[in-house]
Amino acid sequence: MNRRDFFSWGTAGFVALCSGVAVSLGAVVRFLVPDVFYEPPQVFKIGNPGDFPFGPPTFLADEKIYVFRDRDKGFAVASAGCTHLGCTVNYFQSDQKFHCPCHGSVFARGGDVIHGPAPRPLQWFEVTVTRAGQLQVDKDKVVPDSYRLMV
Amino acid sequence: MNLIREIWQSIVRRDPLSTDKGKSELVFLNVWLHIHPAKVKKEHLRFKYTFYLGFITFFLFLILVTTGIALMCYYRPYPPMAYQDMKDLQFVVFMGPFLRAMHRWAAHAMVVCVFLHMCRVFYTGSYKKPRQFNWVVGVLLLLLTLGLSFTGYLLPWDQLAYWAITVGTNIGGYAPLVGGQLKELLLGGHTVGEAALIRFYVLHVAVLPSLMILLTIVHFWRIRKDGGLSRPTWKLRPNKTEALVTIGAPAEVAPLKTVAASTDKTYGLMEVVTGKPIFETVTPEEEEDAVFSYPYAFFREAIALMVTVTGIMAISFFFHAPLEELANSAKTPNPAKAPWYFLGLQELVSHSALLGGVVAPALMVLVLIAIPYLDRNPSRRPADRKLILWLFTFFVVANLVLIVIGTFFRGPGWAFVPPWVHVVSGAE
Repeated sequence: MNRRDFFSWGTAGFVALCSGVAVSLGAVVRFLVPDVFYEPPQVFKIGNPGDFPFGPPTFLADEKIYVFRDRDKGFAVASAGCTHLGCTVNYFQSDQKFHCPCHGSVFARGGDVIHGPAPRPLQWFEVTVTRAGQLQVDKDKVVPDSYRLMV
Repeated sequence: MNLIREIWQSIVRRDPLSTDKGKSELVFLNVWLHIHPAKVKKEHLRFKYTFYLGFITFFLFLILVTTGIALMCYYRPYPPMAYQDMKDLQFVVFMGPFLRAMHRWAAHAMVVCVFLHMCRVFYTGSYKKPRQFNWVVGVLLLLLTLGLSFTGYLLPWDQLAYWAITVGTNIGGYAPLVGGQLKELLLGGHTVGEAALIRFYVLHVAVLPSLMILLTIVHFWRIRKDGGLSRPTWKLRPNKTEALVTIGAPAEVAPLKTVAASTDKTYGLMEVVTGKPIFETVTPEEEEDAVFSYPYAFFREAIALMVTVTGIMAISFFFHAPLEELANSAKTPNPAKAPWYFLGLQELVSHSALLGGVVAPALMVLVLIAIPYLDRNPSRRPADRKLILWLFTFFVVANLVLIVIGTFFRGPGWAFVPPWVHVVSGAE
């Protein structure tokens, strides 16, 4: 083996070794990403339209959502997760605003940010009616805050 | 009797401790003790120079490992059981509250001591050449300490834990480019649940402690290789240059020249190298300032160990570790506060998640790591370093002020409430 061959093979071997290590590291990271999630479903039924009163929104603790029902506008569903760092916001009927207990963000009834540090308005989720007449929320489908479901 | 002596000799294999040779051999024939030099400088032993903070930090880590292993016997990292196991530890396990309190208070004390240790090293200028890299290792150890604290207080799965994971991983989500993936990787899913708890458990009991032990070994090793603990050299007698002893590695600049060694000391093979040593120059006069590690250093370390352990035990005897209600994803406590050492960060985050949660901490860490390379002033004498001492003091005070604001001046909804005002938060 001459000098040129030695360096060619050596370089090839070194590249192969590095690629092997890189692929292995990638595989380890990929291993840490689960393929199956045992999490609550993103699409769920919340009950009959008649279950929800008019006026202040109803808080559903398990789903972490607020259900609004207005006489003339219909249904809308807002996420209770603060857009800052994910704490659960509380609705106060006294000032008709959402307050986040973690870092003091304030949201209007319509979800807009009134007071920082939250960077975005609260999210609104699609709400539909199933054939059986139940309300169904899809947390994967984010809709504009003008979205309303008339029943 | 002879057999017993023979067995003992086979274990220790050293001369009696009454001899100097025995005292040296105690150190360098023992795998655990030989991280020490056989002899140490008298100034190294002075409490007022180091406050033994490095040792105390290490001893706190030992307390954390032992109490942590004990607690693992009763803990299942699965959401409903995890909290139930905490209740068991509080009420039905013999000495459970005591061990849990020791683990908790030792962790808090470790955060304090690591930080104070860093301040000591900074104020004495001990991060300067040749110890730059050991400062970097120290900063990494500080980060690991905080990481272990964070992953630790998540495990009880109480309200504090649940909302800390929620906020913590969401801060991770703000990291540029990889934020979303990082959050998913930490949570093992999209929401805070079983997958997240087991991941933080693995980090807390396996990944981070292993890294901690590895880096601690490097940290200790580098202390020896960088020439022992730093000393207030500006207070020492000036060296007589003609009496320099030739030890250490060849210098880059000085011409190779053999300098006469002291006649009354013999040198080992390692030391027969010409040139300037990489570490502090040793003069025959300074040899007189050194004392044997046994018993002088070991005795002081043992005292520090005992004071640390009894101190933590005494505190744990009177104050139990707090435990909040079971985690409830629907109800965030108001105010939801992290443990005190993260309240400065929480204060920053309350202004901006990206700037306060990602950019500012990342910059702080980068500047800390870069300090020994940015500070080109070779002097370690405080009088020569006024500006940088003021800057560092400002950094320390700013952090403390943020923590004090977060701890005492923030009420429900993170509103500014002075500690002397009592807020009744009724509307919930």
